[in-house]
Amino acid sequence: MSAVLTVESVSKRYRIQRNRPITLKESIIRRLTGRYDRSNVFWALRDVSFSVEQGRTLGIIGHNGAGKSTLLRLLCGLGRPTSGRILHIGQVSGLLDLGGGFHPDMTGRENLVTGGILSGLTRRQVLAKQEEIIAFAELEEFIDQPVRTYSNGMYLRLAFATAVHFDPDVLVIDEVLAVGDSRFQQKCIERLAAFRTAGKTSIMTSHDADQIRSLCDEVLVLEEGRVVMAGDPKSAIQCYNDLMRQRTEKRAAQLSGGAAQPNLKVEHGSRMGTLEAEISAVHLCDSQGRAIDTLSNADSLTIKLEYNLTKHLPDIALIAGIYNDTNVKCFETAIPSARATFGPIAQHGIFICHLPELPLLPGLYYVNVGLYPIDWNYTYDYHWQMHVLHITSKNRTLSGDSGVVSLRPVWSSLV
Amino acid sequence: MNSSTYYFDLIFHLVRCDFVTRYKGSVLGVLWSPVIPLAQLLVLVFLFQKVVPLDIDAYPAFVFSALLPWTWLSTCLGSSGGLLVGNRGLVRRPNFAPVTLIIVNTVSGMLNYVVALPILFVMLIFYGKTLTLTLLMLPLLMLIQCVLTVGLSLIIATLNVFYRDVQHIVGVALMLLFYLTPVFYKPQAVSEDFRILYTYSPIAALIQSYRAIFFYGVFPEWRSLVFAGATSLVVCGFGYVIYTRCLPDVVDAI
Repeated sequence: MSAVLTVESVSKRYRIQRNRPITLKESIIRRLTGRYDRSNVFWALRDVSFSVEQGRTLGIIGHNGAGKSTLLRLLCGLGRPTSGRILHIGQVSGLLDLGGGFHPDMTGRENLVTGGILSGLTRRQVLAKQEEIIAFAELEEFIDQPVRTYSNGMYLRLAFATAVHFDPDVLVIDEVLAVGDSRFQQKCIERLAAFRTAGKTSIMTSHDADQIRSLCDEVLVLEEGRVVMAGDPKSAIQCYNDLMRQRTEKRAAQLSGGAAQPNLKVEHGSRMGTLEAEISAVHLCDSQGRAIDTLSNADSLTIKLEYNLTKHLPDIALIAGIYNDTNVKCFETAIPSARATFGPIAQHGIFICHLPELPLLPGLYYVNVGLYPIDWNYTYDYHWQMHVLHITSKNRTLSGDSGVVSLRPVWSSLV
Repeated sequence: MNSSTYYFDLIFHLVRCDFVTRYKGSVLGVLWSPVIPLAQLLVLVFLFQKVVPLDIDAYPAFVFSALLPWTWLSTCLGSSGGLLVGNRGLVRRPNFAPVTLIIVNTVSGMLNYVVALPILFVMLIFYGKTLTLTLLMLPLLMLIQCVLTVGLSLIIATLNVFYRDVQHIVGVALMLLFYLTPVFYKPQAVSEDFRILYTYSPIAALIQSYRAIFFYGVFPEWRSLVFAGATSLVVCGFGYVIYTRCLPDVVDAI
């Protein structure tokens, strides 16, 4: 097996200019006075080296701003590294910005041709594949409507469908699997899996640990532009999660003025976070609004999450999930932007999550809740196994039932 | 894959998109494209026939034969500043050469020119001008103009990424250049001292050549044509060097 893509100690530096775009006048004055702001330099990548062998899929993970997108752009030949070099055999092509070049006033079909041609097909080849692409995007009804009338999901489906119907030697994908509903995502993943079995090489980034685990052969973890580890998906994801915890701890230490981390001792479970936004109390209530810790699986559950902002935050993200005693995630729901969902956020308040039914098997469960900054880069406050919920069943449960979900089986037999 | 077919398809398709989106939803559609030069013609004819008479025979045809190529050049250069800056999605697309945008803009301008040509022919016939074999020179003139436009647009589009002043400078320069190019007057009317402005301007040489083949029905002066052609090639080469040098930084800057 030979390497189709080799990256040799690549670094990338950006000049940060505060008021971009600078004018001619400013730049002449700067040049005349010889005052270059050396401090305004930002290293997006530092000394990154790796290689990808033919037929392998490489995943790249790292928090926002770790340099993933910069790296992928360089791999596609957009821009040049400040130092180091990138060698590749064959054509490298990528899905970086979906729908670039689409025109909102033109119909789906016209934009499909644009997308296809931009992906490297001739007009004739695009027209030959037209029906296949429309079918893949599931837009048969709307294909002759202007794209501006499309929903966001339809737009992305069209963009993805036009972009994957071509045949590069190395495919680079940046976060584009977050397209459409989960069924369409599944289709995209199958498409990539087929690409993989065809012996093609691909490089992808994703925020979704499950996608990385199922699609990648090896994973690179980037942190502040450096490769912190390269290895199999399982240990890389572990490393990534550790980094997230470290970042939270570091930030918490900074916030408390270099002192030791605030004491987050709790009687049950564990708690971590910077406490810039704090979960002051969590109440589990039944349908009558009584605080409970034991609930029948026929009843409804309301999770009341009292929060308190210790400094002004324009927006936060929150999650609430139900985990069983072996830490299997039974269900989790996330609000990526509380401001977008509930409007401006007050200093104190309560987020309420109502679950009309809990089809879970009787047993011990934990309600884990957390508050995060909207880029999910670290944690404000996370309660792990702190809130216990016992699920009981009014109906006699068959002793043969096991698992997580209670599906109320009805058995019968035919002779 | 045949790459020349591919580039033809790419440019053809993008030009088509440009045309379709520009005129989509309007009743007259592509017929709008000659409206601006016609309106400008009206103003010039009124000014220089009624207000300050220039005493040029068949003045509307005289102006229009030069005004059309000028409109092509000035609209292309005027819009070139925004070509890279305004098409972030395309410029940052892998395997897409941003120079395509500049070629598309030039070709699109050329098609607008061609659409307006029948009006010029009608005008020439109306004023009793005969269309002669010199019209065979038209493709050559258009080719030279394409090369010149692409060259200048490359420089403007690339520099505008780094200094947004460029597109404003271009706006001012085009306005000045309109009066310094013999579009609505005869260069012979200018005193000897300023003649140099016309002999050493490839744009003036081109405009004069267009007028020669349409209005006067004579072959353009070959010396000025060779000069215009050579200058255009040099400008285009220079523009391409600037563009290729700056391209990696362009991707980072926009």
